[in-house]
Amino acid sequence: MRTLLLASLGCLFLAVTFAFPASDKEKGIILNLKNGEICAVSMQCKSSCCQRNTGTSIPRCAPLSAENQKCSKLSVYATYYHCKCERGLKCKGDWSVGGTVTNTNFGICEDRNGKTNATS
Amino acid sequence: MSQFWILGLLGCLLGAAYAAEVCYSDLGCFKDDMPWAGTTERPITRLPWSPEKIGTRFLLYTRQNPDAFQEIKADAAILKASNYNGDRMTRFIIHGFFDKGDENWLIDMCKTMLTVEDVNCICVDWRKGGLSLYTQSANNIRVVGAQVAQMIEVFQDVYRQKPSMVHVIGHSLGAHAAGEVGRRIQKLGRITGLDPAEPYFQGCSATVRLDPSDAMFVDVIHTDILPFIPYVGKGMSQAVGHIDFYPNGGEHMPGCDKNIASTIVDIDGLWEGTRDFVACNHLRSYKYYNESIVSPKGFTGYPCSNQDVFDSGKCFPCADQACPIMGHYADTFHVPNGQSKLKFHLNTGEAVPFSRYRYKVSVNLDGSRSVSGIMKIALYGEQGNTRQYTVHSGRLIPGKTYEVFVDAETDIGEVTRMKFLWNNNIINPLHPKLGAARIELQRGVDRKVYQFCGKKMVGEDVLQTLDPCGLQ
Repeated sequence: MRTLLLASLGCLFLAVTFAFPASDKEKGIILNLKNGEICAVSMQCKSSCCQRNTGTSIPRCAPLSAENQKCSKLSVYATYYHCKCERGLKCKGDWSVGGTVTNTNFGICEDRNGKTNATS
Repeated sequence: MSQFWILGLLGCLLGAAYAAEVCYSDLGCFKDDMPWAGTTERPITRLPWSPEKIGTRFLLYTRQNPDAFQEIKADAAILKASNYNGDRMTRFIIHGFFDKGDENWLIDMCKTMLTVEDVNCICVDWRKGGLSLYTQSANNIRVVGAQVAQMIEVFQDVYRQKPSMVHVIGHSLGAHAAGEVGRRIQKLGRITGLDPAEPYFQGCSATVRLDPSDAMFVDVIHTDILPFIPYVGKGMSQAVGHIDFYPNGGEHMPGCDKNIASTIVDIDGLWEGTRDFVACNHLRSYKYYNESIVSPKGFTGYPCSNQDVFDSGKCFPCADQACPIMGHYADTFHVPNGQSKLKFHLNTGEAVPFSRYRYKVSVNLDGSRSVSGIMKIALYGEQGNTRQYTVHSGRLIPGKTYEVFVDAETDIGEVTRMKFLWNNNIINPLHPKLGAARIELQRGVDRKVYQFCGKKMVGEDVLQTLDPCGLQ
């Protein structure tokens, strides 16, 4: 009797545990979101960049752009097609009114201090 | 009602007393005595299903047909009519519990392999056998293993292909199925266990589970080693190969702790997201393997007993020829004679690309005054540059040396320059300036040391460039 009971309990446990895995740490739902988590505005992300690949794709938190990577200039939209640059870098590229409206003022991250270093 | 219970109990007792046996024509007989059942690890007794009920299928991909599979059987005529070539290496991929052989990951793995090598890649589909109670599936793999073994025997008969030309990759329960293949085939070339299943296998006799004796070379990737009870860790913590990799310590994989909505609404689609929701850590094993096929250098394993020691840096850098590559190219590693269960650690990324390149960085800080803030460094090399990595967060004291390990996400080749940056969130009217006087960098893979020297100190949020010391 006990074996059967144990067996059926075991099966139940297996079924339940495979359906609902244990969650480990407390997760940010609205603020302090990790990279890869779904966001609406950049302020929600730890990285402070909420990025989407196309106008219709789901935005997710993403790391800031490193030097020589593609970037967006600061925009009024709170999401970006390419993230802003890391600290110490500026997003060098053309700026246009049309680009501001369509959120496509892209550039390449460059060292703000680039020139002084090149001469030193 | 009570009769059923009594009958059931009797059946149980009888089952324990008299081992049952089933025989399937060419595959031989399967018993349910020790060690297959009746042990503490395997309390519930089940006999494997028949091959017909499991419905194992072999889906062949080759360079002639990389996009659509050919279904093959253990039959000379069918094999000869297919694109199978006995002169090539053969790799089987076996899925695990609640999975299927034409699931994207198996097909993707075959396709990725075919881009780098000319092989016969066979996805083994036993979905019906795996869509059962776990205890039943854990026994059904015995038949699946026997069928793969039968297949390899046919290769031997038809093409004179040696078993050493065969590599069996198995995920979860599939890893133990691969173990069963190796038990039946002498001198099987290689088995790769991708997070072998823990319940009903961990602590069991070597006959039952994957074991170094199953093939000439057994490599294992552990990604979900926490105990099944109560953490629902689905993989084994026990080392069962010649070499065992524990990426990120094997317990929690980065990128697997996202919130529920973000996990399920995955970049790779809802189905992949749901799979990750159920078993993210467990499934990471094949994702790492898959990526290792195309970027092997990013998965260098460091010999280490556990993750704490690894994090402390005691296992860094690699001694000569001591670091194998996790995943596809693990077989390039020379295992010392007679050794097995060697443990290796490494860190991976949280999303594709998972590959990482480990460096040790020591920053000797220079500055006008000590401030509290964060200092970061970035690496620049012949093949590009990395993002900024935090060296220290807190009090930044000039004259002090700060040491940190960096798992860079790009392979930059030879390091040519470094950049240093510091910042904090407090406005300081004294405009303190800090800089790195000297940065020593050591690459883990080949122990190569780079020295970089900086002269000018910089204000907050300004990058300081450091050149190799000799060049100044």
